[in-house]
Amino acid sequence: MRPASPWWRLLTVALVLLIGAGMYWATLKVNYQWRWERVPEYLLVTGGEEVPAPFDGTVAVSGKQIRITPLLGGEAQVIPEIDVVQVSDGEIVFAGNTVGKKAGITPGPLLVGLWVTLKISALSLVFALVLGLIAGLGRVAHNPAARDLAAIYVELIRGTPLLVQMFIVYFFLGTVLNLSGFVAGVTSLAVFTGAYVAEIVRAGIEAVPKGQMEAARSLGMSHWQGMRKVVLPQALKRSLPPLAGQGINLIKDSSLVSIMALTDLTKAGREVVSSTFSPFEVWFTVALMYLLLTGALSVYVRKLEKKMAHD
Amino acid sequence: MNTEQEVLIEAREVEKRYPNGTLALKGVSLAINRGEVVCIIGPSGSGKSTLLRTLNALESISSGEILMDGISVHAAKTDLNALRTHAGMVFQQFNLFPHMTALENIMLAPVEVLKLPAAQARSRAEALLAKVGLADKAGNRPAQLSGGQQQRVAIARALAMQPRVMLFDEPTSALDPEKVGEVLDVMKDLAAEGMTMVVVTHEMGFARAVADRVLFMDRGELVYQDAPEAFFTSASNERLRAFLGQVAAR
Ligand SMILES: Nc1ncnc2c1ncn2[C@@H]1O[C@H](COP(=O)(O)OP(=O)(O)O)[C@@H](O)[C@H]1O
Ligand SMILES: [Mg+2]
Repeated sequence: MRPASPWWRLLTVALVLLIGAGMYWATLKVNYQWRWERVPEYLLVTGGEEVPAPFDGTVAVSGKQIRITPLLGGEAQVIPEIDVVQVSDGEIVFAGNTVGKKAGITPGPLLVGLWVTLKISALSLVFALVLGLIAGLGRVAHNPAARDLAAIYVELIRGTPLLVQMFIVYFFLGTVLNLSGFVAGVTSLAVFTGAYVAEIVRAGIEAVPKGQMEAARSLGMSHWQGMRKVVLPQALKRSLPPLAGQGINLIKDSSLVSIMALTDLTKAGREVVSSTFSPFEVWFTVALMYLLLTGALSVYVRKLEKKMAHD
Repeated sequence: MNTEQEVLIEAREVEKRYPNGTLALKGVSLAINRGEVVCIIGPSGSGKSTLLRTLNALESISSGEILMDGISVHAAKTDLNALRTHAGMVFQQFNLFPHMTALENIMLAPVEVLKLPAAQARSRAEALLAKVGLADKAGNRPAQLSGGQQQRVAIARALAMQPRVMLFDEPTSALDPEKVGEVLDVMKDLAAEGMTMVVVTHEMGFARAVADRVLFMDRGELVYQDAPEAFFTSASNERLRAFLGQVAAR
């Protein structure tokens, strides 16, 4: 094939820029005050641990040094390691009042939300893979009970909306079994994704030529040995691209757990928006953070695929 | 002919009807002696593969009985996994495991089924690769081997279980013509070592030179059997004559 002209790339860039400009122009029309400079503080909060006053006293501030003279008399004391001073000279503080912050940075609400999303997604993915593998094997099993159970599971889950499943898990199972929001979230995501994984696994197994299992059986291997050593390795290799797609869906679907009183990335975004009036910047930032997670997963799976193609 | 005349495999009035209704075997009876090389020929669809696959229970049978070493192959209580270790099978499409090297293909069943220590399985596999002339291909994947080489690895894989009988289902039919000879040579060596072999083939030259007995199947029936010389020259059976005529005309 003739290599395509580089002009097409240029056209792509031009179109993307055009769309971006269009969106910018649209925001001008609604008279929106962009404050991108405030986004970093939703990600990282500067100022570390708050430092309380050790006793009631009068504050003397010079530079970053806080010195407190006890009201009840006695030695004045210097408070060490203060980076941000939050009292003024001559002020009277009581024991426990915050006088300043130590140096350091702590994650802001969006990063905390990202971490929750990552934890939920990773855990759900592991359980979904296990569940999907079992159900997928059930779909191709000889045993009619295993086949039917797996089929019912897959059809039930694929036939109902995830949000409804989450309501059921959170409000019904959650109440009956007293599940935390986190457990309920991971459960519903894993059960949901597992059904799709099962279908991917089944398709992968069915795509392996019948002669493979026959060869294994002719050598005296049991059905399970043939499955484990011969069929599954080939099936899973074929399944890797669709599984990656399912993993990406899982990360995105995890945004629905915000109904479960869980502050994931989406919920964190909502909280920041409601307290700052910067919805555009926040939602763009949140979208970018999801993109980072899904992008990292795609890159990882593509590497894995390459590695498996070699060995 | 073998002098012992000890029967290794016996089929009695075997019938096979596939679930879709096809009657593939219509009461086939035969006996195969230890050390004997039996070739089965016949037109496509005559039931040759089906017969071969019922011998190691890759296919079930509808009625009749098959005995291997006196054990009823299709009896409910028979341990098929154990039984199949005694019958090596070589397929038309090789069916090598593509995700494993030649050596790993051969080692797998000895390790998994016979529970051989890896080192022992490895030296057995290496010896077998040398035997089929592929000592230098141990680390190759099937995709990196020619058809003839793949089929030789497949033979070595079956031999690794030290079977009592080798079943070949058209082992050279999927090969380029120039690769047929190398596979047949390996099979000739096996025959010379006294391996019991059942070979479904279209290679008349091989059947003539190596077989102790040649069987002709047609439409699910075992129509005729004889020693090769008589089989190919003086057989008076109508259907066999017609089939041999067709093959010669090709
Ligand atoms: N799995 C199967 N299901 C249904 N019919 C089959 C199956 N395998 C083979 N047959 C039929 O059984 C007959 C014998 O087939 P086969 O044993 O493969 O013949 P051959 O090996 O001599 O070409 C043919 O009519 C074939 O169509
Ligand atoms: Mg056949």
